[in-house]
Amino acid sequence: MAVVLPAVVEELLSEMAAAVQESARSTGPRLKFLFGSSATQALDLVDRQSITLISSPSGRHVYQVLGSSGKTYTCLASCHYCSCPAFAFSVLRKSDSILCKHLLAVYLSQVMRTCQQLSVSDKQLTDILLMEKKQEA
Amino acid sequence: TPAAGPPLLLLGAPGSGKTALLFAAALEAAGEGQGPVLFLTRRPLQSLPRGTGTTLDPMRLQKIRFQYPPSTRELFRLLCSAHEAPGPAPSLLLLDGLEEYLAEDPEPQEAAYLIALLLDTAVHFSHRLGPGRDCGLMVALQTQEEADSGDVLHLALLQRYFPAQCWLQPDAPGPGEHGLRACLDPGGLGPRTEWWVTFRSDGEMMIVPWPTQAGDPSSGNGSSSGGQP
Repeated sequence: MAVVLPAVVEELLSEMAAAVQESARSTGPRLKFLFGSSATQALDLVDRQSITLISSPSGRHVYQVLGSSGKTYTCLASCHYCSCPAFAFSVLRKSDSILCKHLLAVYLSQVMRTCQQLSVSDKQLTDILLMEKKQEA
Repeated sequence: TPAAGPPLLLLGAPGSGKTALLFAAALEAAGEGQGPVLFLTRRPLQSLPRGTGTTLDPMRLQKIRFQYPPSTRELFRLLCSAHEAPGPAPSLLLLDGLEEYLAEDPEPQEAAYLIALLLDTAVHFSHRLGPGRDCGLMVALQTQEEADSGDVLHLALLQRYFPAQCWLQPDAPGPGEHGLRACLDPGGLGPRTEWWVTFRSDGEMMIVPWPTQAGDPSSGNGSSSGGQP
């Protein structure tokens, strides 16, 4: 079961996959059209190796992105979720933005096959996922 | 069968048959050579949903694993540690009463994370089941006549994550009969279809297209798109 990305995003991502030998920036203008300034910021995040794929022996995995502010955000690529405030505000409340820059960076890094990898134990992965749940007041 | 297909959201007022349908889906998915099934709900079912009476097969029941996370925090813990759980991965994940868990923590970010985790857990189970097999996901949400702003927000969130939705309302065609009307919208994957679900006295569940005119596709293409529980 996979969440269906909007068709236009799917198309773009598969074109990028095909063109990965050339500079990914050739599709930059189209990315920017679709996603606005998030696109350039997302490409920056990829360039700066800010995305880490954290996986455990179970096969379950999660992404963490080191944002420009120095804060680390957790992204679930399986279903479009990011813990950043921009996601909460623009994607959920208003419905125009398709993705935040962190999620876009995650998808780009999947297509370009470039991101840091980190292996943790199953238990550690549970803790990482749980950490996103805010502490009870 | 509900085993494959997109995540499905069941919506309806109290008494509209959501729990009954979830349970029917569980039984269906726990058939011979299938399952297991993971059924999450806040409280144990007081009685088996109407209509499942004598057709309950103990072999199927054994394959349905019930868990009762008493709070949102416990539900989070269960979902976050799903990859640690031993044993075979379920082929169907069901959650009844999502509104109760969402009500505890109305903040949208938390709600979104809970919903995302449900999906992520099903994706992980799919991965564990191996190639060609998927873990289905069905979630029931109780709706109210007068929704407050929190409910509206949660609904908008859910519709973003669950493209396939099925609205239920009770509709009894005659005395002594119990039925409900199901409107299934599979999102971008097919036309909207309406069904009439009844439970006969022997417990058998029957599903027919709405209205119940034999052989005449009244609206839409009449094709059987969308999995039926």
